[in-house]
This record gives sequence, structure tokens and C-alpha cells, in this order.
Amino acid sequence: MNMKRGVMRGIGGVVLMTLTMLGLQTPACAGLVGTGAVIAQQQAAIDRGQLSAALSREDVRQQLVAMGVDPQAAQERIAALSDQELQAVAGHVQELPAGGDILGVAVFIFLVLLITDILGFTHVFPFVKKTVH
Amino acid sequence: MPGGAVLALLLLLGGCAAPLQSARLLDTPPAELSLAAELTEVPFFPQERYQCGPAALATVLTWSGAEASPEDLLSEVYLPQRRGSLQAELSAASRHHGRVPYVLEPDVQAVLAEVQAGHPVVVLLNLGLSWYPRWHYAVVVGFDLRRDLLIMRSGTERRDVISLETFEWTWRRAGRWAMVVMPPAELPRTARELPYLQAVLPFEQAGAWETAGTAYAAAWRQWPESVGAAMGLGNSEYNRGDYAAAAETFRRLLASHPGFAPALNNLALSLAQSGDLAAAEHYAAEAVAAGGAQREVYAETLREIHARMGR
Repeated sequence: MNMKRGVMRGIGGVVLMTLTMLGLQTPACAGLVGTGAVIAQQQAAIDRGQLSAALSREDVRQQLVAMGVDPQAAQERIAALSDQELQAVAGHVQELPAGGDILGVAVFIFLVLLITDILGFTHVFPFVKKTVH
Repeated sequence: MPGGAVLALLLLLGGCAAPLQSARLLDTPPAELSLAAELTEVPFFPQERYQCGPAALATVLTWSGAEASPEDLLSEVYLPQRRGSLQAELSAASRHHGRVPYVLEPDVQAVLAEVQAGHPVVVLLNLGLSWYPRWHYAVVVGFDLRRDLLIMRSGTERRDVISLETFEWTWRRAGRWAMVVMPPAELPRTARELPYLQAVLPFEQAGAWETAGTAYAAAWRQWPESVGAAMGLGNSEYNRGDYAAAAETFRRLLASHPGFAPALNNLALSLAQSGDLAAAEHYAAEAVAAGGAQREVYAETLREIHARMGR
């Protein structure tokens, strides 16, 4: 039984790595040395300025719901995020690039984009096809 | 165009002084890159309004053998209020479908190298301007350096053909983000060891030990010196209950890295699970003797083995 418990703690190896990455102390316990701990040792530079994963998970969940995601789906979506992805998203759901589509272009912008499209700096309008050299 | 208009335009574009990578590629194509390639068999999902994220993800997932339609993926990656999808959610959803998301080096050549290796590449583009962004996901499926062409599955166009320069302008304004989505047994052409292992690690978090094990095994074949890949494989085998395989993996790792304490510790636990307590005690004691940052873990392992032996 003790061994089984050791395995359960071993699964926590990833958590241990996260804590290591955060520069926090982890209590000693028996069990597998997690893959994450080994990889983290291999890594030269580790960003220590990261937020607590547990705090930001709830934060991101609320932001997803505020962005119109169904609460049940939001729960599953934050569970799917890795800690790294979570850090990228936390606090930035509003302003991160969100690939979407082109609509509602004002006249001035339309002219600018038309010219930049023709020059090949932008690619907004499908009807602008440059001749290929 | 009059000079003043050109100047005004450059001001509008702003901050784009660095030379394009594609100019160098077109001038002197690298020997390792073929001049042209196109993945014609990559499927196409014409996007509904705003939904290029689900469409692009469905394209690469289906190519990789994981069936998923844009409609299926809406609930996983779409943000209704933002009318778009986030990069982090595209990679998370790839894992959810059992595929390894790998973000490429911010280099046009890396994108082309993946396409040449047969892997379609999801890219984030800013089709508009830095101060008037129009974010868009597309999938690069081909290129032709002789004719300065890049071919994408994009929006409602099955075969969107643009110049390499236009691609690079729009890609650069979106932070040069590109991602391949690989079956776990296959590595991206441009994969590097540590970034790849970090792309696999979250499968452990999700308890997807089968997928993780397959990906670590592929990484170990590619980088036979990789301690992280070997540990990952052994831990995956252990956690899905295959203690004999785990013990064999840790032994192989120790053959190339004698005295590596984390492997000694995990080998001891694998052997203990298989019922070979005497051998387990031997390796746990070796781990304790080797010491290191995790020495208290090793000591606890040895104590537990002793307890099981009735000592």
C-alpha cells in the first residue's frame, strides 16, 4: 500500500516541477522522481516571475465565462491548459490576439488597407491578387 | 506612387525596419530546403464567420488522423465575445485530441522545413496593420521559392496563394507564431530536445500516460542521450502499471548514465512493484549513496522498501 501511495505522490511530480519552477520549497516525500523535475534541472533559465498556477486557473475560468464561454465548457478548457499556457493567458484574455475574421472596416481604413494590400504588406482583401514575379 | 505617399505609408506601417527573412531564402535558398513542396492531401474546412481558429485546428488534427470538425472544436477553442480563438487554447485542444502541439522557432525557414517534411503548419497572422490588427489563423501547406509563393488553407479559400514577403509581413506583425500538431509517435522536423519534452510534459498532468509514453519513446530514439526523454518513458510505463517495462527503461538509462540517482530511485520503485524487493533495496541504497537534491526522497523510498521487507 505504501508503494501505491508513493506512485500517487509520483504523479504529483509535475506539480513538484511547477513549484520548483516557481522557486518554492517542496516538502520531501517518497515516490517517483517526476519527469518534470529532471527536465527542469536540464533547463538553464527558468522564468521565476510566474504567478501561482492555482490562483490564475480560477482567474482564467472567470475570464472565459465573461467572454461568453459556457461555464461547464470553461471548466474543461482551463483543465486542458498546461501551466505554461495558463501563464500566457492569465490576465490577458481581453487583449491577446484572437484569430477571427475581417469585418466592419471603415472607409479610411479600407483605403489604407487596400493600398497596403496592393503593396503586399497586408493581406486583408481576397480580391487583391498581386501578379507573381 | 509619389514619394510623399510612400513616406506616409511607411509611417502608417511603422516599425518594420528589420530585413525580411524570406528575402534571404529567395536570394540563396538553403541547400537543405527543396525549392518547392505542396501538401495537396491536407483537408480543407471553409470557415464560418470569425471561426478560423476551429477551422485551422480541424485542418491539422484531421491531417494527423484525429477526426475533428470545426463544429466539434467550437466549444473547445472559441471565445464568443472576442470572436476568435487564443493560441494557448489551440495547443491545449490539440493535446485533448491526443496530438502533440509544438511551437516552431520564429523563423520562416522552420515553417518551410516542416511543410517539406509533410507537416502542415498553423500560423497566426495579422492581416491588417499593427495599429489596426486583423488576427487570422491559417494553415501553410506549400511553397515555391522559384516563384516566390506560399500556399495556405485560409478562410474560405482552399488554396490561398500569396508571396513569401506578404506572408512574412503579416506573420511578423502577429509575433511569428507557428505550430505543428503531431501524432505522438512522430517528431516535428525542426524539434529541439527540451522544447519538445516540455510540449509532452502536460500529457502527464492530464494522466494521458499512453500518449506521453509514445512521445517520450520517439524523443529518446531521436536524442539517445536525453535523460528527460528516458525518465519520461519510464515514468509513463510505471504510471500505467507496466512495472517490468519501466524497470527495463530505467536500467537502459542507467547503462548510459551510471549512478544517475533519480533513475536509481525510480528503478527501485519499479522493482518493488514487481515484487523483487531485494533488487529494489539494492538500487534504493545506491540512490541514497548518490545523494543530490532529491536525497530525502531516496531515503524515504529505501525506508518504505525496508518496511515492506518487514525490517
